[in-house]
Amino acid sequence: MTALSPRTVEKGPVPNSLTTGQLPRFAELYIFGASAVVSGVLLMLIGFDVIGWLVLSAVVYLVLLGILSSLVENRRKAIDRLVRGLVTVAFLLAIIPLVSTLFTVVSKGIGALSFQFITQSGGSAFNPDTLEVTNTPGALQAIVGTLIITGIATLISVPIGLFTSIYLVEYGRSGQWLSRTVTFLVDVMTGIPSIVAGLFAFSLFTIILGPKAFSGFSASVALSVLMIPTVVRACEEMLRLVPHDLREASYALGVSKFATIVRIVLPTAIAGIVTGIMLAIARVIGETAPIFMAASFTDNFNSNPFEGPMQTLPVMAYTGFAFPGTDITASNNSAWGAALLLVILVVILNLIARVIAKVFAPKGSR
Amino acid sequence: MSDRTSVESVSSTQPRQNTTSDSTTPLGGGTPAPAASPKRSTRARPADAIFRGLSTGSAIFIMVILAGVALFLIVQGMPAIVANWQSNPELNDGFTSAFDSFWAYVGPLLFGTLWSAAIALVLGAPIGIGIALFISHYAPRRLAGLLGYVVDLLAAVPSVVFGLWGIIVIRPFLLPLSDWLNTYLGWIPIFGGQVSTTGSTILAGAVVLAVMILPIITSISREIFLQTPRLHEEAALALGATRWEMVRLAVFPYAKSGIVSATLLGLGRALGETMAIAMIISPAVIVSFLVITEGENSQTIAANIALNFPIASTLQRQALIGTGLLLFVVSLAVNMIARYIVTRGSSKTGGKKKSRPKPLVVPTGDATSTLTRDLVAEKNTAAGPEGASA
Amino acid sequence: MKFKNVATAGAILVASAIALSGCASSTPAATTSATPSAAAVDYSSLSGTITAGGSSAQANAQAAWTTAFTAQAKGVTINYDKSQGSGGGVTNWTAGSYDFAGSDSPLTKDQQTAATLCGPNGAINLPIYLDGVAIVYNLAGVDKLNLSAETLAKIFSLAITTWNDPAIAAENPDAKLPATAITTVTRSDGSGTTKTFTNFLSQTAKDVWTYPADSAWPIAGTSAQKGTSGIVQAVGAGDGTIGYADHSAIGELKAASVSVKGKDFVAFSPEAVTSAFDAAASTTDTGIKGDLAQTVDFTAISGTEAYPIPLVSYGILCTTFKDAKQKELTTAYLGWIGSDVGQKVAAKNAGAAQIPEKLLTEIAASLELVK
Repeated sequence: MTALSPRTVEKGPVPNSLTTGQLPRFAELYIFGASAVVSGVLLMLIGFDVIGWLVLSAVVYLVLLGILSSLVENRRKAIDRLVRGLVTVAFLLAIIPLVSTLFTVVSKGIGALSFQFITQSGGSAFNPDTLEVTNTPGALQAIVGTLIITGIATLISVPIGLFTSIYLVEYGRSGQWLSRTVTFLVDVMTGIPSIVAGLFAFSLFTIILGPKAFSGFSASVALSVLMIPTVVRACEEMLRLVPHDLREASYALGVSKFATIVRIVLPTAIAGIVTGIMLAIARVIGETAPIFMAASFTDNFNSNPFEGPMQTLPVMAYTGFAFPGTDITASNNSAWGAALLLVILVVILNLIARVIAKVFAPKGSR
Repeated sequence: MSDRTSVESVSSTQPRQNTTSDSTTPLGGGTPAPAASPKRSTRARPADAIFRGLSTGSAIFIMVILAGVALFLIVQGMPAIVANWQSNPELNDGFTSAFDSFWAYVGPLLFGTLWSAAIALVLGAPIGIGIALFISHYAPRRLAGLLGYVVDLLAAVPSVVFGLWGIIVIRPFLLPLSDWLNTYLGWIPIFGGQVSTTGSTILAGAVVLAVMILPIITSISREIFLQTPRLHEEAALALGATRWEMVRLAVFPYAKSGIVSATLLGLGRALGETMAIAMIISPAVIVSFLVITEGENSQTIAANIALNFPIASTLQRQALIGTGLLLFVVSLAVNMIARYIVTRGSSKTGGKKKSRPKPLVVPTGDATSTLTRDLVAEKNTAAGPEGASA
Repeated sequence: MKFKNVATAGAILVASAIALSGCASSTPAATTSATPSAAAVDYSSLSGTITAGGSSAQANAQAAWTTAFTAQAKGVTINYDKSQGSGGGVTNWTAGSYDFAGSDSPLTKDQQTAATLCGPNGAINLPIYLDGVAIVYNLAGVDKLNLSAETLAKIFSLAITTWNDPAIAAENPDAKLPATAITTVTRSDGSGTTKTFTNFLSQTAKDVWTYPADSAWPIAGTSAQKGTSGIVQAVGAGDGTIGYADHSAIGELKAASVSVKGKDFVAFSPEAVTSAFDAAASTTDTGIKGDLAQTVDFTAISGTEAYPIPLVSYGILCTTFKDAKQKELTTAYLGWIGSDVGQKVAAKNAGAAQIPEKLLTEIAASLELVK
């Protein structure tokens, strides 16, 4: 009854929205310009400030837009415009710290980058006549260490993670205890503090190899513990998004389950899987605490992952800030350089991954 | 064309796989063959068995790793948890000396961990979801791809850099805001206390934490939003829904569990974040809700481990690992609660399988009709008050 | 500048060392000669890897020592992990992961004998690194500041809250002290620097400072920052801030002159630290032969030539090594650090002070006992 009565009234006040009650086409732009001017003028009276101006403009814009739209259009349209405005503002708000972080890294790190910085490992020379030690900045040992440690971690985590997600999606059924347990455990694994993962890996290797077990490999194992849950989560989501009719079509043709997964499901989901793996790599490539615990620290070049301490870019960045040399500025500079290199490395890895995804993805998919 | 070739190539690889099947089949022995998917063809294929074994084996391996980590934490943490904190000389020295028991020590830390993560989540999650929505449903397509990429990139910035960014950018930026909050909103308990002069407050830490969890929340939510079935969206628009109504009625219900799990991953990162917090916040092992003071910021478990681990004696190390065990338990609890919320939420609204929708299995017609119902109801309520007043 | 003479002296020494090394055919075990300044040892026959770690206070000195030592001993690789901190270094060393540990606090007698990897004779502490704790501050318009131990205790126990407090004004009659509030900056992580500083306060200002020496800062309400770099950053960024840090790491910050008694304020200089340490330190009797753990009596420091807050850091190693080769490498390296040249390298490149001569002789004698 109550549902019916408003419907009868509805006809009266709601006009034909196709022809009337529309704000003009670029109304939002005009309103934004107006609110920027208004808040600018307002702020001129009490003292101008860029951040205050932006914030005030946003608020004035939202209020103006809401009022105008609800006057000219209807409440639903007003809410719609308001939400659009809010989402945009949220986005702009969020983009400020994001851009600021990237800007800080790039602007501070760019000065340290040079051909030598990338192609030489950091070194120092001793002059016996003056007793002076001179340091030459270099990041090669850290670049190599990062690539080796993260590479091995990826080699360990991706098969395990991918197979687990295949199990969860293709083999395990939702009621089964194993798949329920694994889903749950993966959730739990995301909560392992990174320092604990490092301790765990190092303790594991001291049991096997004896006390001097510092190695790049044990750091890789630590990173794998952190990486696997992210890989499983991401791959699982992506595999589930593969339409069921593709699988059914394949089975209908008499194709085995194995072949269906390898030939149909994985290629369809490859773009998402690669994105997920890259996200997982990005998650662990910047870790410092587990590297310290499992691979110790060194300034020396070491490319053997199975023996001796190794350095990575985030470790180099961290030590550069936390334990600067006597020339604090020089230490900080090479630390920023290492941070920037890390970001660049991730960009490169991302690009490679995208190319791989493109090559393997079936034509016509997104 | 690919179907045909794939069938052939599989049959050709069969013999090769066959030789290894004996050694690997036992791996999959845990799950009996009859439990296989009903679509499985009747012919037994060795490659299938191997693949199945590998998958199940990986799943079991994850359980082994986690059991190993849990065992490690328990074995390492127990001695300190059960030790007598009042009489033990090792624990009566240094950073553990002021506490009577493990629980007295870990309590404030636990509070600090949850408190800072909660602030970060309150600040970060809505914005993260907002960005995701902007990228998936509002931004121009070309721009959206670029923006998504920039956000992903941020996930790679090491936390020490975030820590540094917090020190040189966020701390000074928040100083005037803190003063303002204290002066005008100081009557709200959390903004009270002695305002910080260096800016190393829990607020600064939480803001940086919020920025750090943005990429995770955004990239997962974005993927989920993009996967909303076109049919649902178009149905909503066709019924005259505005964009926001479409998002609210078609996208959000579909993506609810995905948003929750994205937020959870973000929360996981916030709970475990170490270096940035340790660098930015000036901590104390106390329970304090104040967010803009210098000396009354609650410490978090992870940062506390990082700060005290270097000087800890053996038993103190074990005490710290014990706090790590608790962090582990907390994230477990948080995950359980969230799973419970998600399942309860989906069972309440009836047949809509939101968490793992298989696009063709979901009775589309039914969903659309639900949608229609909602939409009509919405229109009615929207028109209602106006009609009544007229 | 002030190192110029020292450097020349060192240069002559090293030059003679190189000249001698040509004909020196003695085994590397001869490192531990009675006079540490005679660096006439040939290290070039050594090869292998030394793994060590611990104290971050030693970090810069260790970096310089590593470079200088490996320049002579080309076959040796040294990995010193400065990220571990003193406790981490000792823990890893106890577990057998390190050949020696760097630590700001010496092992106690129980720890020395409990370290099972060392056998029945236990482990020894060797003081190898000396620096001072600097009182850093940032206060607009004040370039020179004098602070007595008692005033420091009042400031750091938060009893004095503004810069124009009579107690500070009385010690700085010439300075124009503003009414700015004092922000005390302390370490949030446990540290040997904190332990030295709290030890200093508890000895020299008993009435005001009632807390024991501790590696964790005992009072809530200060601005706690991570690491020396965190303190330096926070003090530099604020106005009216004061904190404490290893002198070698303070960079451009201003440091106060300190006095125990309230007169004769002394500014930091490496020589002043060495002479203070010489006057105040005595070897603790732990009953272990060769152990050189030091007890510092801060109240014994006086005069205009001694900086009151010296900070000493140790190298900790076993008296009995399981592996003869590691023993050879470790004692050679530590022996070189404990030589005159080693100390000068640290002074020149890491801003450290030198360990007093007589202690160096004892270090050499202790290393002789290591099997």
